[in-house]
Amino acid sequence: MSLANSETAKSRPGRPSEQVILFSVGNHSFAIAAEAVQEIRSTDSLSGTATEIENSGIEKVQHTLKHARHSLYVVNARVHFGLPASRPTLVMILRGMRVAVLVDRIERMAEVSFLHRLPCAFIGRERNWYRALAYMGDRVIPVVHAGGFLDEEEIQYLDSIAAARQPAELEGAVHE
Amino acid sequence: MSAFARSFVLLHIGERRFAFPAGLVTELAPAVRLHRFPHTSSHLLGAIMRRGKIVPVYDPRSVFGAKRSSANLFYLLSECNFGAATELFAVPINGESVLVSGELQSSEIAGPEYVSGFIAVADERVDVLDLNALIASTFPQEADSTLARVRG
Repeated sequence: MSLANSETAKSRPGRPSEQVILFSVGNHSFAIAAEAVQEIRSTDSLSGTATEIENSGIEKVQHTLKHARHSLYVVNARVHFGLPASRPTLVMILRGMRVAVLVDRIERMAEVSFLHRLPCAFIGRERNWYRALAYMGDRVIPVVHAGGFLDEEEIQYLDSIAAARQPAELEGAVHE
Repeated sequence: MSAFARSFVLLHIGERRFAFPAGLVTELAPAVRLHRFPHTSSHLLGAIMRRGKIVPVYDPRSVFGAKRSSANLFYLLSECNFGAATELFAVPINGESVLVSGELQSSEIAGPEYVSGFIAVADERVDVLDLNALIASTFPQEADSTLARVRG
């Protein structure tokens, strides 16, 4: 997918800038480092490559996705951020991670030259969700931490579920 | 006590009137845009952008049982203790703020921790708000553990 409508923010001299992708979930906008995203696909293109995980135990993960011989866990960003129902139409495949993220839409690409730290007063789960805040186009936009969608412990847990189910599925296949 | 410490700003938080030490006021800011984003921290409404800084908006009105009102809203900005650090907080306040002089007096009856005493204003007792104590009481312990994580 091509990311049109790129906007270059005013850069401050001497400060390195960072390319980000702005995406939305429900009524909220988020940014993610462009280099953290390997690919963006339409959810329509996932048929045949996505598999439902029954009783995953992690509400935000209900599917796996086959991608380049790897199995990725698909995180629903709406559930991850605790937002009301929305309609995801795109999946962002994260680079170097076994994680893909369902989002509603991509807004645009932008360049940010200054990131604000998340104030210490924010003490909840958002500390894992966000690595910074950006002020762009008169909006404060959280910059998500790509590794915050699924931590290593959650991935291991999902792996253990998948591993436990595999022998049963194979057994079923033999009996058939 | 210095002359500065005897100046107080009278302000309304929800329906309650407090006196706040003027020397602790960083700024009284107009009702600039409140930016909201998903988070799970209670008593925070979001953040405002002020003088190039992103400032968390702390809403103590739920502590006082006061209704939220956008009427004549502006923000009290003050540096507050948060764990072992200090953080600039914005507190929504309603109505006019008046600068008065007064002598901080101790209450005979122990009140809530966030009241450090009172001043007399035209024969009326007005509680003096201790914002640090209020924040400490609404962010118990987590603040310290969060700061420890932030600092690594």
